[in-house]
Amino acid sequence: MASLDELKRTFFDECSELLQDMETGLTDLQEGSGSEDTVHAVFRAVHSIKGGAGIFGFEALVEFAHVFETVLDSVRHGTLSQTPEVFTVLLMSSDMLSDLVGMSRSGEAIPAGHANECRQALEQLLGKGKPGSSDGAEDAGDFEGLDFKPVPAGGEDAGDFEGIDFTPVQSDNFDSKQSYTITFRPKPEMLRNANEPLYILRELRGLGELNLVADLSGLPPLSDIQPDQPYVAWTATLRTDAPRKAIDAVFEFVVGDCDLSIVEDQPPPVAEAAPSPEVHHETPAAASSAPVAESKKPQPAAEHPEGGKGGAANNKKQATTTRVDLDKIDRVVNMVGELIIAQAMLGQVVQGLSEEVNESLSQVLDQVIHHTRELKESVMSMRAQPVGSVFQRMPRLVRELSMKTGKKIRLEMAGESTEVDRTIVERLADPLTHIIRNSADHGLESPEDRLAAGKTEEGTIHLAAAQRGGRIVIEIKDDGAGINTERVLRKAKEKNLVDQDVTLTEDEICNLIFLPGFSTADTVSDLSGRGVGMDVVRRNIQDLGGRVSLKSERGKGMTIQLALPLTLAVMDGMVIKVGENIYVMPMASIVECLHPGSSEAYNLLNTRGMLKLRGELVQLVYLSDLFDVKSTARGISESVVIITEAGDGAKFGLVVDELCGHQQVVIKSIEDSYGQVPGIAAATIFGNGKVALILDVEKLSELSAENMMPGNAAQPVVASATAH
Amino acid sequence: MPAAAALKVLIVDDQFSVRQMTRMTLEQLGIRNVYESENGKEALNKASVQPLDLIISDYNMPEMDGLALLRAVRGHPAVRKLPFILLTGRGDRELVVKAAQAGVNNYLVKPFTQVTLREKIEQVIGKLS
Repeated sequence: MASLDELKRTFFDECSELLQDMETGLTDLQEGSGSEDTVHAVFRAVHSIKGGAGIFGFEALVEFAHVFETVLDSVRHGTLSQTPEVFTVLLMSSDMLSDLVGMSRSGEAIPAGHANECRQALEQLLGKGKPGSSDGAEDAGDFEGLDFKPVPAGGEDAGDFEGIDFTPVQSDNFDSKQSYTITFRPKPEMLRNANEPLYILRELRGLGELNLVADLSGLPPLSDIQPDQPYVAWTATLRTDAPRKAIDAVFEFVVGDCDLSIVEDQPPPVAEAAPSPEVHHETPAAASSAPVAESKKPQPAAEHPEGGKGGAANNKKQATTTRVDLDKIDRVVNMVGELIIAQAMLGQVVQGLSEEVNESLSQVLDQVIHHTRELKESVMSMRAQPVGSVFQRMPRLVRELSMKTGKKIRLEMAGESTEVDRTIVERLADPLTHIIRNSADHGLESPEDRLAAGKTEEGTIHLAAAQRGGRIVIEIKDDGAGINTERVLRKAKEKNLVDQDVTLTEDEICNLIFLPGFSTADTVSDLSGRGVGMDVVRRNIQDLGGRVSLKSERGKGMTIQLALPLTLAVMDGMVIKVGENIYVMPMASIVECLHPGSSEAYNLLNTRGMLKLRGELVQLVYLSDLFDVKSTARGISESVVIITEAGDGAKFGLVVDELCGHQQVVIKSIEDSYGQVPGIAAATIFGNGKVALILDVEKLSELSAENMMPGNAAQPVVASATAH
Repeated sequence: MPAAAALKVLIVDDQFSVRQMTRMTLEQLGIRNVYESENGKEALNKASVQPLDLIISDYNMPEMDGLALLRAVRGHPAVRKLPFILLTGRGDRELVVKAAQAGVNNYLVKPFTQVTLREKIEQVIGKLS
């Protein structure tokens, strides 16, 4: 059996999901893209957090969630309208709730009154939304007024629950019965909405003694009766001890579809002496706090199983997920990696066999290869997670930043559903947070400055994710002032990060902000000046096998691009050969491979050559030059050109000696042993036990560009990466 | 006197942690045959194939909530008399009233202790042995 601690952990995992649902829902609603179902979903999320928190004994959490829930309930019932002010409080409360969840999770003591401010704001809304809203909000939680005693009347036999039908409200415990006169005239809509008056009357009868008189005056002659029209009205006298609300509830779903009046016949009998204190909750004020007319509009989604699209999507998720420990999936991933290596070994062995044996074995082996690939893909997709889970934390961050800086900031997000390995998603949060902080703090201008610069008062930060060329690219773009290159250069010189007399291009200056020890903040602000610089961001991304690039335009804004691998464990690779050296190139970055004729290659100034490919000139990059290894090919016509596409969409042709084939490779990091090697992403082990380096295609194109700089032409960049 | 060990109880809640917690409490009471469903619809399907002695259901769930489940159970000839305990939040009197009208056998306010759970179960199906 799971231990209590494990259960708590599960509860908090659920909370994170619920908090996300809540936050997404609120944001959708605020932007006007939400529906009634969204309101219900948000309500349900908070309700579930409250329920779980109660069970696990997180009192502070329960208390706050309860007030929050009550407010959401008013929103749900339309008694509190969805104004911007209301959203401000709701969003603030959602932040507070996730704080409280976080504190409860970490076991941090929640200071008394921690949530008070927020709570008061919520209570104020309640005051506005529901006059006299004390409707049981602080109810002790017991309903002794309702008699639930009926124990199996049918006897003590375990199997026999015969006769336990019970009508609890017809209790005679209290002499607090009240008489009501109810007139009820269904309209045609009611039947059309599939509501049956008979059931309603039956339900009413369940509340107490009911005296029913049918008004048949509207009944036409038999020949004129339309079966879908209601003709009968009823006048009922109900004597009950159920609260007025219970009567309203009976008519809850039809209140707009009928003429209805519910009148108390006489003042309630003196009930002060009633033994149960709970009766006091049903003071006239509380009872009338939910007049029939108010409960008319929304019906809780929960009561409508079919729901709308929001509900349906939610349901889908609910019905088809199961919780698996991440360690278990990781074990499978590792096993698949080993399996791929073993399969490659098997392939080698098969090749060495006689033709006859080989043929039948190869067929089987092909199947194994096929299945392994599918296995790998399914396992990888198990680890994959939409980046949205990180993105969703950003709106809150932006709200806080906006509040602290006094700048108006709008956050736009796109591509949240892009999936990437879970480890990457988890480790994206810090870099993204930092970049967005930077944008808000340094990039975006104050509203006044923006207006003066002819921009809109509100600054925009655009956060987008997309899959491109076997990588996921995340872009953080703001429309702020861009990087102040003079200031950056001055700072860099002050800190001796560059030579005093250096001349740098604008781009180069911008990239200085990635240097360790660089911080441009004139004053250490609360936001970005936390000792974490862009160098750490770059380091984090590089640790994930990714790259950071930056573009800035003075006065127009800045774009930071993070390019990340989709997975960290296995990939499809093309095995290539240059001289005696074997490398692996990610399949995803290969556009096509070709044998060019010598007539198609051109030598242009400062390049080793260009290739004319269907009328387009593509720059050639010789792997032998970059890595300073000896090529066996004599001239371009004996080589193979692999056309590849870098993350920015630029094409170039990588010149190698030979293609050796396509295979799955297991990625093994070499960084721990060798550090970052430009142009090399990782290593892999082949079936024969040999190690090959996996190329970092994007970096190769950069390296070649550097290599083409006048004066650099002959310098190998990665001499150290190859045994020479 | 129903034997706890022989009792078949279905827990209906959309939250895994709450289901587990309830299961744990039931097991502490000696109830070993505990089944789980994530929502009313699933529960209804389960109840129609699996003989049960008691349903303990949450109210707030997607797909089909506890009240709808209760009504469906009461309207289903095969399981019409199945004892049903509804889990509710604090102060949800309206819900309890509605559930009572729909024929619930008892309710249980979350959070609950082992003692209250036992009490409520015993009120519904008799003293556990």
